[in-house]
Amino acid sequence: MEDFLSGFSQIFTLSTLTYMLAGSIAGIIAAAIPGFTVTMAIVLTLPLTFSMEPLQGIAVMLSVYVGGYTGGLISAALLGIPGTPSSVATTFDAFPMARRGEPGRALSLGVWASFFGTILSTIVLIVAAPPLAMFAVKLGPWEYFSLIVFALTIVASLVGDSVIRGILAGLIGLAISTVGADPIMGRPRFDFGIEMLQAGLPFLVVLIGIFAISQLVSEVEDSISVRSGNALVTGTIDFQTWKVMKEVLMRPVNLLRSSLVGVLIGALPGAGGSIANLVAYDQAKRASKTPEEFGNGNPDGVVASEAGNSATAGGGLIPLIGLGIPGSAVDAILMASLMVHGISVGPRLIMDHGDLVYGMFIAMAVASLMMLVVSVLSMRVFLRVASVPKWLIVPVVMTCCVVGSFALNNRVTDLYLLGFIGVAGYTLRALGYSLAPLVLGVILGPIAETNLRRALMTDSDPTLFLTRPISLLFLVAAVLSIGWAVRAHLKKNSKTERTEDASAS
Amino acid sequence: MTDKVTPQARAQEAGETARLLSYILILLASAGLFVTAMAIPASRFESLGAGAFPKMVFGALMLMSVVAIIDALRKLPSAAYGRFVCEAVAWARRRHLIFVVLAALGAYIVVLPMLGFSIASFVFIFGLELALMPRGWKTLLIATIVATVFSFGLNWLFAEVFNVFLPRGGN
Repeated sequence: MEDFLSGFSQIFTLSTLTYMLAGSIAGIIAAAIPGFTVTMAIVLTLPLTFSMEPLQGIAVMLSVYVGGYTGGLISAALLGIPGTPSSVATTFDAFPMARRGEPGRALSLGVWASFFGTILSTIVLIVAAPPLAMFAVKLGPWEYFSLIVFALTIVASLVGDSVIRGILAGLIGLAISTVGADPIMGRPRFDFGIEMLQAGLPFLVVLIGIFAISQLVSEVEDSISVRSGNALVTGTIDFQTWKVMKEVLMRPVNLLRSSLVGVLIGALPGAGGSIANLVAYDQAKRASKTPEEFGNGNPDGVVASEAGNSATAGGGLIPLIGLGIPGSAVDAILMASLMVHGISVGPRLIMDHGDLVYGMFIAMAVASLMMLVVSVLSMRVFLRVASVPKWLIVPVVMTCCVVGSFALNNRVTDLYLLGFIGVAGYTLRALGYSLAPLVLGVILGPIAETNLRRALMTDSDPTLFLTRPISLLFLVAAVLSIGWAVRAHLKKNSKTERTEDASAS
Repeated sequence: MTDKVTPQARAQEAGETARLLSYILILLASAGLFVTAMAIPASRFESLGAGAFPKMVFGALMLMSVVAIIDALRKLPSAAYGRFVCEAVAWARRRHLIFVVLAALGAYIVVLPMLGFSIASFVFIFGLELALMPRGWKTLLIATIVATVFSFGLNWLFAEVFNVFLPRGGN
């Protein structure tokens, strides 16, 4: 209770609330711009939070996160282009609805669904995270190591279109994490005499290079779309805020189901909003009495997609707070920001820094409320944002990336690294490697190594990984997740081959 | 195999060939780093030294890249290799803006310490905007304003508000 009050008083200060408001607005704007993802927005917010208190910094980043999940809706509904990958399913119904002359209703539906999705997921988070942490502190290094192996394999098999490249990306991430002093004895490794590498690769620079630079470069792939601006849906927009709120609340089953789908998918390592919106949409369509209306502007479709993607925000925090294992790239960045402040993230977080964890819960709720107010009041302004052309975005955001990487250590050498990582990141992206497993590999690498070596220091018998039941369970789950993904992959391949044969004959 | 391959299928083949090259590169790099990791001395205090975990990671990388290479070789028809250079050049031509952007970023990072943040950023943003934008008086005006705000303005913001001093130049 004391921790709760402490967290509460830390969030409800004027400066924190102001920063959070700025964060919400920034998140909505960033995600509304096609080509600017939520992850990019959070990576670029991180350097600005270094000078803040830990909770204040994390609260601001959560505001960007929550706002970002909503902002993607604007370009999805009005342009038919998902502003972020997590609003793909929103385009299916919100865009037809907007074209039919109800753009305001489409936007309001999405905003309210996002709001309720976030709130529901925060409730699940508050209920689920503490018991999970209680359970997790009892885990030994054997279980932890196996859990990380499981987390990495499931990320590799879920994200992207190739299991092999997913695993390769995860392993490359682990390899990057071995550069610098080893986590137990501090012995230097792989520094090749370069001073910058002795302390390990700066995580933030790697993140900015991997996510922001490579994304920006891929935005200019199509030279025609760079030069043209997109026309918006024209005409007057009537938001009908309160009427739509009732409309959303009249669909409690859909709202609850979609939010739970979002929470569960968010809690699964590697899967985030970009999968949740599609699954929630699909589930809503299956459950609907009128599935044929989906895709033609059915409000249920908008609600399902937006509630689903917003609910992953709370879901993703469950493994982060409960186990110290980030569920997605965004959660990995949140974890990095806590580590910058010298707070070690793990199951003991909730015991050692209870005020911080409760503060995060409160911040989630406050952020979703802010998102709601900001979007309802200023949706009209954001409509313009969605039409900012790429030729402005790319150079400006690149400059922000350079500033962000420099501000961390005030080192010019970090910028050279940024350029190098950016090129490497874009090459991997262009070759079809998914980058999320790579980032999780970078952040989980040292944790995996520490636990592996601690386990073998405690008892040199390596079979303990297989004989301790929970550890075995995780390892079996890891093997199953790979096997399942390979099977799905083979199935898909044989299907495409068959259709190719059919079309050839 | 007749020569009736669609352009998409060719592009896909070229992509697969490029991926094959990347697998080979990963295999070579991980093998090299594996050997480097062997040189890390074992510790007296624990059964696994500082080199053990990297060796596991690079070992797994080598194994996976071999699997990937076999998988790619199985998929690729032999004619694909001959077409690869041609397809790669066509790809690069279609996406020439990528190289413009990367070259600009590289030049920006290199001259940043010499020119200082404000001037280098202004030149970078304005130059890249010119390269990417549809030319016109209105866009030119917007481009100039945006470039000024995000170079001189950003420098001012960081120095005054965050007390972070971006490179001043002259190094």
